[in-house]
Amino acid sequence: MCGIIGAVGRGDETLDTLVHGLSKLEYRGYDSAGVALTGDRIDLCKKAGEIDELREALKSRSLSGAAGIGHTRWSTHGPPTDENAHPHLDCNGEIAVVHNGIIENYQSLRDELVSAGHTFHSDTDTEVVPHLIEEGLADGLETEMAVRRAIGRIEGSYAIAAVVAGDDRIFAARHDSPLVLGVGDDAVFLASDVPAFRDFTDRVVYLEDGEFAVLSASADPQYRVTDAEGNELDKAVDTVDWDPEETGKSGYDHYMIKEINEQPRAIRQCLRGRVDELSASVDIEDLGDLSPTGVQFVACGTSYHAALHGAQLFQQAGVPAQAFLAHEYAISPPPVGDALVVGVTQSGETADTLAALREARKRGARTLAVTNVVGSTAARECDHALYIRAGPEIGVAASKTFSSQLVALNLLALGTTSSSDAREVIAALREVPSDVQAVLDSSQAEEIAREYVDADGYFFIGRRYQHPVALEGALKMKEITYKHAEGFAAGELKHGTLALVTEDTPVFAVVTGDDEAATKTVGNVKEVEARDAPVIAVTDGESDAERYADHVLEVPETHPRAAAILANVQLQLAAYHVANELGRSIDKPRNLAKSVTVE
Amino acid sequence: MNVSTAVVLAAGEGTRLRPLTHNRPKPMLPAANRPILEYVFDALVDTVDRIVVVVGYKHDRVQGHFGPSYRGVDLTYVHQEKQLGSGHALLQARDVVDEPMVVLNGDRVIDTHIVDDVVAAFESEGDPTMSVLERPETSQYGAVTMHGDDVVELVEKPDSDEYRLINAGIYAFSPTIFEAIAATDREAGELALTETLVEVMERDRIRGVRTEGMWVDATYPWDLLAVAEEVLARGHVDGEERAEGVHVDPDAIVHDSAVLQPPVVVGPDCEVGAGAVLGPDVALGQNVTVAANATIRRSVIDADSRVEAGSTLIDAVTGQDVFLGAGSTVPGGPADVRVGREVFPDQRLGAVLADRVVAEGDASFSPGTLVGPRAHIGTGVNARGAIGEGAEVVR
Repeated sequence: MCGIIGAVGRGDETLDTLVHGLSKLEYRGYDSAGVALTGDRIDLCKKAGEIDELREALKSRSLSGAAGIGHTRWSTHGPPTDENAHPHLDCNGEIAVVHNGIIENYQSLRDELVSAGHTFHSDTDTEVVPHLIEEGLADGLETEMAVRRAIGRIEGSYAIAAVVAGDDRIFAARHDSPLVLGVGDDAVFLASDVPAFRDFTDRVVYLEDGEFAVLSASADPQYRVTDAEGNELDKAVDTVDWDPEETGKSGYDHYMIKEINEQPRAIRQCLRGRVDELSASVDIEDLGDLSPTGVQFVACGTSYHAALHGAQLFQQAGVPAQAFLAHEYAISPPPVGDALVVGVTQSGETADTLAALREARKRGARTLAVTNVVGSTAARECDHALYIRAGPEIGVAASKTFSSQLVALNLLALGTTSSSDAREVIAALREVPSDVQAVLDSSQAEEIAREYVDADGYFFIGRRYQHPVALEGALKMKEITYKHAEGFAAGELKHGTLALVTEDTPVFAVVTGDDEAATKTVGNVKEVEARDAPVIAVTDGESDAERYADHVLEVPETHPRAAAILANVQLQLAAYHVANELGRSIDKPRNLAKSVTVE
Repeated sequence: MNVSTAVVLAAGEGTRLRPLTHNRPKPMLPAANRPILEYVFDALVDTVDRIVVVVGYKHDRVQGHFGPSYRGVDLTYVHQEKQLGSGHALLQARDVVDEPMVVLNGDRVIDTHIVDDVVAAFESEGDPTMSVLERPETSQYGAVTMHGDDVVELVEKPDSDEYRLINAGIYAFSPTIFEAIAATDREAGELALTETLVEVMERDRIRGVRTEGMWVDATYPWDLLAVAEEVLARGHVDGEERAEGVHVDPDAIVHDSAVLQPPVVVGPDCEVGAGAVLGPDVALGQNVTVAANATIRRSVIDADSRVEAGSTLIDAVTGQDVFLGAGSTVPGGPADVRVGREVFPDQRLGAVLADRVVAEGDASFSPGTLVGPRAHIGTGVNARGAIGEGAEVVR
């Protein structure tokens, strides 16, 4: 999603600091980038495309200024072009603004500004902001008041940063879109996410909704945070412990394959200190005496598939549980009763999930965030937080964080319900790191990917615990290969989709164990085999799925819950290798963003 | 010439350590309960700010374990596609190193000060520098003769017993070493670093630095027991020292009634059940489970393995994710161990169980048994000799 960076107090290195910050925000996904520096005038440069295009354009320019802002854009209003890239300017080119989020009343504001004689150059909603500030200055307001009045006019979600010619300050505000300050010794930074300035400082101040910040190159102190009414706030300075080096590629071609290979380590981190097989107990900090009588999960994308798994776990323990797509939940919430509402979001900043959690809270529900990012909005806003501890994930397509979400949700279910097979489940979870390693050590996914790289489309089927895995396998395939893929509960195939199955549509059948679900899925495998579709069985060899399959992706035999995690790793590898054969932009697929901070 | 970069050679399999190297290269095998390569990096992190790791055989296991940095030091990985000798391995780093460097093997546990001594000598004089150790037995190593501070002779695996110094395999070079390697003729397709050094010695000087300290190497699987003994004796292991020589990771769970006899180390995430007796000379890797009343002595149990109730293991080396069912017995060495056509008489070895071996309950292993990866040993089986990869053994 869009990324913001700002810096004051970096002297001649302002531009380098901004461009460095933008490169650290690349992982969020973007289609254009730009920077603006303020001195006597505004120096601006922005380009559609990769950050390298911006770097190229900057070579022939000399931008300078004591303060500056930068932006990576992920299009919501208007296509990715140089004009639509941020920062946006007012009529005189003296005010520059970057923005994340969506301004819902932008059309009426734009109409008003156009009839007042303002000229617009882009299709974006953002461009109304510099013109609104321009109006304020024309009305004789002091700069900060002009910015405050402009922000008071807009509705919707935003993180905004603005600079004005002749002024060495950055003005910033947030509402429903992340923004964090970084406090250095002589410099202050501002960004959508900590990695943007992590190389310069580890001290951060998280802004809350409705807050307004002023950063100054020359004033003392260098930053000030106020509420919407202008009352000064005493904000806590937190220290982040992420190692900035953790974001390298470790010798792999892509972050995604690095992150797939990191899964044993990530899962160990998730389990560490939380499980005790000897006493069959799970200890999760912060959850207190939580023992829900009902659970509603809200999530989107990959996290939604993890949420489906979570709902199954609670149902298994006799607790009514459902998973909802967060954006649907937010606009048509079901009766919440006394259910615990659990938001699953890797970044903790997913706007749709935050909106659903807020809706649940408004209705009196207790909320819990399952997230990877300490201090994220979801973690701070919910009553409880369960951290999945996967470490930073840079590939836009989630891999290790999905596995860690599944493990964390198993811990959540074990820790808040009582079940007779807790010891077996804990033993199986403790074996997951080595079982995942076994899959990584001997997977045939690359050979299979090569064989089916030209397929028309891919289908994924599975039942019970392997149903969410089938959905996730298809989503991964879509995201990074740009090919059509669909995942189903295996029993649903014959109710329609079977019409699409041909010899050019390989079917990945996820069949583990030899219970009723497995036996029935094998029946579905026979259905597609009879239509000449190539079948790739992801199996532990317990059922006779192999007999009807053209290829086998093997997983170690384990508890059915843990089998879901293992099968998914095979599907991650299959999607990765198909995308790699096709030469796709695996870490930054077109049109996609890492954390979707707009609704 | 300040040295701030290290090049670590970690691309070789270590074929003589089979079957333990089926899934990972020798540097990832355990010295006590952590990969050997961690010890190598530990010896470097206070001296350099970048480590270039030459990886090859099963490189995912190195990259996946360490990621992009180790204890705050950047790791850069370069790939050696085919393992064509130590010189060829070092040459792979040419594109990413243009500064002075310390060069060492990733498969040997060493003391930090051996690195420091080499670096100090190189920084004061700038000549190619090699660390030299005194050893009573030199026939397995590169033997060295010194004249003053100069190395004047370098002989691989000498036949005669006149030598008493060996090449410790830790060097400091300026980047001109790359040209020297590139100019060296290959022998049988391979490019050994020592060949280049012999050529350099003829033209210029090679500085030798006498040093001492921990320097241990595993050639055969049972050597991992000796390596663990050495590391444990020196206390070079992680974890809280609960009592003299008893190291337990804070994230391990040990039942109050379990007995830990020093020296012993228990890794993170381990669980040790009631009445278990561990030690002396036992190393448990991370996430190992030892169930009630099991007894383990002088053994290396690698990560994720599970020893079920009432088992007895003596002089055992396991790979990762090995399962030993209830009442499994490894009564311990000595034994004549057969590796291929060679027989190593009278080795103190109970058994070597490679990665993911599963032994159902009540199996016993005759002294010197080698079990290949993923082999399945049925209940009540007495296993002996060499058992192949994936074999099913039933009574």
